Amino acid sequence: MAEEPGLSDQYPTASPWPLFVALGLALSEIGVFVGLFPVAVFGLILFGGSIAGILTESGYAERPWPTLLGVGVVLIILAAAFTLWQVPVADIALSNVGTGPLFTRLVAVAAAGAVMIAMGGVASVMEQTAA
Amino acid sequence: MVAGDIVLTGLMAVLLVGVAALLTRVENWRSYTPLAGGGAVTGDETAVINREKPAGIIRWLTTVDHKDIGLLYGVYAVIAFAVGGIMAMLIRLQLVTPGGAILSNNAYNSILTSHGITMLFLFGTPIIAAFANYFIPLLIGADDMAFPRINAIAFWLLPPAALLIWAGFFLAPVTENMIEPARTAWTMYAPLSVEQANPGVDLMLLGLHLSGVAATMGAINFIATIFTERNEEVNWANLDIFSWTILTQSALILFAFPLLGSAIVMLLLDRNLQTTFFAVEGGGPLLWQHLFWFFGHPEVYILVLPPMGLVSLILPKFSGRKLFGFKFVVYSTLAIGVLSFGVWAHHMFSTGMDPRLRASFMAVSLAIAIPSAVKTFNWITTMWNGRLRLTTPMLFCIGFVSNFIIGGVTGVFLASIPVDLILHDTYYVVGHFHYIVMGAIGFAAFAGIYYWFPIFTGRMYQRTLGKAHFWFSMIGTNITFFAMLALGYLGMPRRYATYQFDGAIAPLTQVSTFHQLATVGALILFIGQLFFVWNIVQSWLEGPKVEDGDPWNLERDGMLDREFQWFEEQLEADSPEKDPSLLADGGQEEQDEDDS
Ligand code: HEM
Ligand SMILES: [Cu+2]
Repeated sequence: MAEEPGLSDQYPTASPWPLFVALGLALSEIGVFVGLFPVAVFGLILFGGSIAGILTESGYAERPWPTLLGVGVVLIILAAAFTLWQVPVADIALSNVGTGPLFTRLVAVAAAGAVMIAMGGVASVMEQTAA
Repeated sequence: MVAGDIVLTGLMAVLLVGVAALLTRVENWRSYTPLAGGGAVTGDETAVINREKPAGIIRWLTTVDHKDIGLLYGVYAVIAFAVGGIMAMLIRLQLVTPGGAILSNNAYNSILTSHGITMLFLFGTPIIAAFANYFIPLLIGADDMAFPRINAIAFWLLPPAALLIWAGFFLAPVTENMIEPARTAWTMYAPLSVEQANPGVDLMLLGLHLSGVAATMGAINFIATIFTERNEEVNWANLDIFSWTILTQSALILFAFPLLGSAIVMLLLDRNLQTTFFAVEGGGPLLWQHLFWFFGHPEVYILVLPPMGLVSLILPKFSGRKLFGFKFVVYSTLAIGVLSFGVWAHHMFSTGMDPRLRASFMAVSLAIAIPSAVKTFNWITTMWNGRLRLTTPMLFCIGFVSNFIIGGVTGVFLASIPVDLILHDTYYVVGHFHYIVMGAIGFAAFAGIYYWFPIFTGRMYQRTLGKAHFWFSMIGTNITFFAMLALGYLGMPRRYATYQFDGAIAPLTQVSTFHQLATVGALILFIGQLFFVWNIVQSWLEGPKVEDGDPWNLERDGMLDREFQWFEEQLEADSPEKDPSLLADGGQEEQDEDDS
């Protein structure tokens, strides 16, 4: 099965993922709370991606892609729920991104979710057609 | 704004692509062999290299070995101690003259805030995690922590936390003071903390939040490890005292830190999204004090219980006697753990809260002194008629007991409402808690570092320097913080950058004299820490190699604990890990079970 072993296969007490899980969480928090749109999106992607990676590496998941997809779905649901709960319906419009403090942040979360769904989906399909 | 966003997007994209590229280079995503729980050796024979860890810096960035992570925590904590210590020196230098010697008021408030948060969250909690990570698995005979990867995540949250907490200092010069260091003091009381528009406050709150997430992850890990990873010989009856205190501490963390995290999020929402949790028209500013101290008081025991465990572990070793009343030391630990959630309002006696409520908090606060005193008497009785060996770790243990008595007794006075109404928000309070955080917690950390230095480094420290470190620290601590107790009696309020008050309010000459004394003490303390840093660095690099697995001669009293037995085995095996060529000689085929 293995063509070339990864780092954590060669070394039982090493894993590259924890560092990036931590970095991803830190960037996500800064992005979402301070309201820096790009930092929020990329931080969340890094966070979700590393979670997918670390779960796969430790054997809790077989492939990273479904996890990535799942994290994306969770983020979108969260963002949608908060929007419906807290943002007046009239204000929900793409043209309002960048105006309302809450709405912009929620769009950032949803955008990160969408990217993760796309990445997870495409990678799954590619892997299956390649195999 | 748009240009800024584009630049940020570009930066983030480059970062993400870089991370992905790095990961594809080091990890082959198709090669995973399942190893749930981690730690175990993989079955994939073909290309597995028989070493534990990759070499160089990659080793430290990717390690999930509890000993490595312990060392990382230790180095991190010592650096934070240096930063916090330099801030403390600036504070003390400022206060040698009533008008303030070196800092503007704003700079003083920034440094005061940062000093407190750095010492409590970036030095105190991590230095304890350093000892716990390194030694709990060894003491209970476990291969590693229950969740090695979560352990690593918890550590790696801390460097970003520190950068965020200090962010204002770095960003003020480059943003023309748009983003400044927070000036909220470590207690972050509303409405002050809501109204300071400065984004540096948000960054600090986020950093604190991350450090709380890290502490919680660590606590869950320690609880799981102590419950499930003990080897067959270790049961609840013979579990060592340090593990007991870490278990209790972890339980306190589990209840206290998530609450701090939630309160911080509420504060962030009040600041950024116009919620009213702590506004007068909403939950009210007192709500913050209740939430904060419901976390804050357990936090002081989170910080002091494991050091008590360290002293209970180390002090008997150099007294030639087993810990007196072991059971009662464990019970008092548990009692403190429970009671510490019932005393928080003793920080709020002067807020005008309901007097009946106040009285009950006073009663519980006085009660918590009892288990603390039980421990103190047990330490003293352990030394009584013992064969004392005044090594450096032992000196620090004795210093701990002495300072803890002064810190504890002053605490009991503060727990009494009428006394507190006079002394609240004066330097007496500052003296009280510094006797404990510096005089006790700091001293226990030093005792641990010296006691286990041979295990950490395979080398011995320089004894004379160690003793100089102790005496400078002991004398410096007592001059500085005793002067503060006196300042409190004289009515000097805490958290002031200057003290040019009218002589009718307080005797200005005495007040400045005691401030100057405190500064002299702080200088002595500071010089002591220079001995420490020099000793540690130089001995680590070129100290004499330890040949004997029992450097403290504990075998004689039958007190050689599991961690030194492990060390002895390491020395005998003479680690093929460090020199793989040894493997070829047929000496050691397999890795030793214990060091995976
Ligand atoms: C013997 C048990 C103790 C009692 C009865 C006690 C009592 C008190 C009281 C009543 C106060 C509030 C004073 C005021 O603000 O007016 C206080 C403050 C404080 N105590 Fe203790 N204490 C005890 C032990 C400890 C320990 C073990 C620690 C540290 C590990 C500690 C750390 C603190 C800190 C940090 C503060 C100041 C918080 C602040 O306002 O910034 N205390 N203590
Ligand atoms: Cu308290």
